[in-house]
Amino acid sequence: MAAADPAMTADHGPASGTPVRRKEDARLLTGRGRFVSDLALPRMRHVAFVRSPVAHGRITGVDTAEALEVEGVSAVFTGEHPAIGPVAMRAQSALPGYVETDQPPLARGKVRFAGEAVAAVVATDRYVAEDGAEAVVVDYEPLPPTVCAWAEPAHPVHDEAPDNLLLSRTFRAGDVDAALADAHVVVDRELTTNRHGGNPVECRAGVARYEAADRKLTFWSGTQVPWIVRTQLAELLDLPEGNIRVIAPDVGGGFGVKAVLYPEDVALCLMAMAMPGTALKWVEDRVEHLLAATHARDHRYVLRAGFAADGELLAVKADVWCNAGAYSVHPWTAGIEPLMAGGLLTGPYKLADYECTVRGVATNTSPSGPYRGVARPSTVFAMEALMDSGARALGMDPIALRRRNLILPADVPYRMPSRLVDDSGAYEACLDRAVATFDLHRWRGEQVRRRRDGGRPLGIGVGIYNELTGLGRAASAGPRMAFRTGHDACTVRINPDGAVTVFSGVTSQGQGLETTMAQVVADALGVDYGDVEVRIGDTDQSLWGFGAFSSRQAVIGGGAAHLAGEHVRGKALALAAALKEAPVEELDLRGGQVYMAGQAKPIISLAEVAKVAYLQSDRLPEGFEPGLEGTKFYDPIRGAFAAGAQIAALEFDPATGEIGILDWVCVEDAGRIVHPVIVDGQIAGSIAQGIGGAMYEHLVYDDAGNLSTGTLLDYLMPTAGEIPELRIGHVSTPAANPTGVRGVGEGGTLAPNAVVAGALADALGVEIDDLPVTPARVWELVHP
Amino acid sequence: MKCPPFDYHRATSVADAVDALQAAGDEGKILAGGQSLVPVLALRLARPAVLVDVNRIPGLAGLERRDGVLHAGALVRHLALADQRQHPLAAEAARWIGHTAIRSRGTLAGSLAHADPAAELPAVLRACDGAVQVAGPSGTRRLRADELFVGALQSALADTEMITGVELPVPDAWGFAEFARRHGDFAVVSVAAARFGERVRIVVGGVAGVPHLVDAGDLATVDGDVSDDRVTLLAAAAADDVDPASDLHGSAGYRRALTEQMTLRALADLAGHLRPVREPA
Repeated sequence: MAAADPAMTADHGPASGTPVRRKEDARLLTGRGRFVSDLALPRMRHVAFVRSPVAHGRITGVDTAEALEVEGVSAVFTGEHPAIGPVAMRAQSALPGYVETDQPPLARGKVRFAGEAVAAVVATDRYVAEDGAEAVVVDYEPLPPTVCAWAEPAHPVHDEAPDNLLLSRTFRAGDVDAALADAHVVVDRELTTNRHGGNPVECRAGVARYEAADRKLTFWSGTQVPWIVRTQLAELLDLPEGNIRVIAPDVGGGFGVKAVLYPEDVALCLMAMAMPGTALKWVEDRVEHLLAATHARDHRYVLRAGFAADGELLAVKADVWCNAGAYSVHPWTAGIEPLMAGGLLTGPYKLADYECTVRGVATNTSPSGPYRGVARPSTVFAMEALMDSGARALGMDPIALRRRNLILPADVPYRMPSRLVDDSGAYEACLDRAVATFDLHRWRGEQVRRRRDGGRPLGIGVGIYNELTGLGRAASAGPRMAFRTGHDACTVRINPDGAVTVFSGVTSQGQGLETTMAQVVADALGVDYGDVEVRIGDTDQSLWGFGAFSSRQAVIGGGAAHLAGEHVRGKALALAAALKEAPVEELDLRGGQVYMAGQAKPIISLAEVAKVAYLQSDRLPEGFEPGLEGTKFYDPIRGAFAAGAQIAALEFDPATGEIGILDWVCVEDAGRIVHPVIVDGQIAGSIAQGIGGAMYEHLVYDDAGNLSTGTLLDYLMPTAGEIPELRIGHVSTPAANPTGVRGVGEGGTLAPNAVVAGALADALGVEIDDLPVTPARVWELVHP
Repeated sequence: MKCPPFDYHRATSVADAVDALQAAGDEGKILAGGQSLVPVLALRLARPAVLVDVNRIPGLAGLERRDGVLHAGALVRHLALADQRQHPLAAEAARWIGHTAIRSRGTLAGSLAHADPAAELPAVLRACDGAVQVAGPSGTRRLRADELFVGALQSALADTEMITGVELPVPDAWGFAEFARRHGDFAVVSVAAARFGERVRIVVGGVAGVPHLVDAGDLATVDGDVSDDRVTLLAAAAADDVDPASDLHGSAGYRRALTEQMTLRALADLAGHLRPVREPA
């Protein structure tokens, strides 16, 4: 990349690798962000959904008469409405054994979870819409609900899956039973992880407007995946794809929850088509979000592992249940969590003999979907629990046991037992640096001192992980869906004044992608960072991007940005060479000026070249088209594994269960780092969410399928007061892609479950099998 | 999460507020700081026909210590209570309430009228054997803490009454301890301890429908300092005396254990927190 170019002068050093001012900050930090929630259009109406109060039941009647009487209510839609009735979403996968099921935009015939949208009220404002929603009378004939994915099903959630099993698959490598028979020690663990969710600061939001005259639909949506949404909507709404424009403006956090096409989205667009010319707005509130946005990580792991006397991991046998909720999430399917769990369970450890059966089970709870880290916070907890149990059984140091089994640089490319190919091998480097930064020796000394002097018990927890990032076509995210998410596009356009506008397929929910893309393009093209402006999130502006998920955008969108920048640089230099009658191979573009090798002064500016390209065709040399832009796609084919290790010291008060985090260190391999502050922010934020999942956040259903944690009074998210100072370090092993980056969006979430549970066991000698680790749970473990 | 429709009346005086409440029958509700009421409205768990806004009534935000009692107006905000030095127990407890934004709006009388058994100020009122001044259609009356709290989120106030002032006797020594899941959360268990002369009053929040006054019998009578042995015995007595329920944040057994631990902490606190000899300005 340009950063390595020896021709680069100090005056115009690369933007990549430096903490440039974020492009987004002027508007976001001064309250001038433009979110869907801020959008106001002429004649706009507001929508409130009527949601099911029962977890499972037949709908025996919906009476909308009284709601239509409420002053200000203009329409009420139900699942049987002619605009809604013919449409059903079906998350598709070609995986054998996958059971395809329908998800209606508004419930039809029956409801499958408490919170499912049954009807929608359109009114002058949201207050009136909610008044109308209260006046809709729905009669239910209750059916027995199934809440737990590993309990006997009470009644099929979907008729197509009488046993509620939407998907199951067995990963198999080697001969696990023989390897277990040869093991020196065998350890068993049965673990569950807690249901929780993304909870971005801005909940879901959409505005849909349909113009009947030209059959054009515009959908402003706080989505992470505008192009996927456009493709899916075109199919569901029977519109030409070019007639749909999806715009994701500023978005206040996503974390995977907004990488889903929701029934509310489809209902909103269908209703807008039934009310041409009227913009319909729905902004999800927090109660709706907790109730009906996708949840995640409601898993059970039954595990057996065998170790040799020297600590070598010989075998892992696992049975995994993932609660898929009431519907197979669109478009990712009920396979999203179980397949990730089975594919990545063994993590950074070498293993030949492996058998893991994973299941996606339908229940009468809110659907499970992608959430930062997808399944791996649970699998890392499971794998590290086996490591800790193995170390105890062998009398080995738990870190030494881990070292014994890590995939090392000499092993890569390493074919994991799930057949994924690991290109990292940086685990030991991350662990080494984490242990050194943490000062393990000092904390072990403190632990001994406290045991001797009677201080509050202290434990050290460790989590090592691999984040599978930037997946290309060969290892595409999602279970054999109808599309492969390996590529993104980027267009680089040099404007007539020489400044640059970038049309990128990436989307941003606050993670600074405008900045990152601008840095990459500035360096690839040879212009100043300040001269690059980036447009994202609008399907009518940029060509193509699959969006934000699987820690893919810096790798794939960044790759496309780099290639497009290089491509346009070549075009600009060719034109400059022809204009100045200079050999193109001796020209260099940097800081927006074209230089001849060996000369200190530029021979022509990029602005001058652009002026010719757009405005002075009389000066265009033979064979040159007007204009100065180019578009490139990038697909990494495989992905870039990103290694990480976290280690922390926690103290526990046996009398109250109180948990104190004393120190927390994380070292990750983000490859080449484009923006150091953004990268550290991603890591810190994901660790904070991981700590939330490990210690606070728990969506609890009662046996009847009612959500007991329906507001933020009971669903506890960590605040700044609960998150310790994090010490973040890096090893940077450039990946084999145009910018050398590895994805960094999710890795931080992967270790905290393992770290907190491991520290508890280390401090008090009690193994915790069920997350989250709360003071009450700690106290109960100490006082059985 | 939008409020159902309601009428709004901005009261100009206590009499005006009481009149408005009376005119609303049992459909009126006082809006003070709104920190509990507004979320309840947004969730449509309450649907009063009239909100009587008392925030503009003059003369209800005073704080004055007379004869060993802090007299506080109904509209004293938690922030003001936390900042005053005349009743250090109330100040300490107020610091545990929510976050700055909540403390700058929430009011003392609002918290007492809301009668959340896990809230800090109801526990303090009971620990100090305080009282509230109440205005209603038939005049004013005084309700002692023991009378005010009836059950979870239930007070002895009629729908047409409002608290106008609060009397908080200043203890000779005091202690406060709280266990909450996060900074600013309602207590899982809190303990307010107040010593008046030879009697120690221990009140536990979060374990019953009302702030629970521990019946420690003769143990609660102390002569001189509260010894370490006595602290241990009192904490055990407190744990014995409560009968908490289980919920999402902890079992009954866990809450009982926390009662003992928080009582230990509050009483340890008590030894070091003596009433200022002179009444501070």
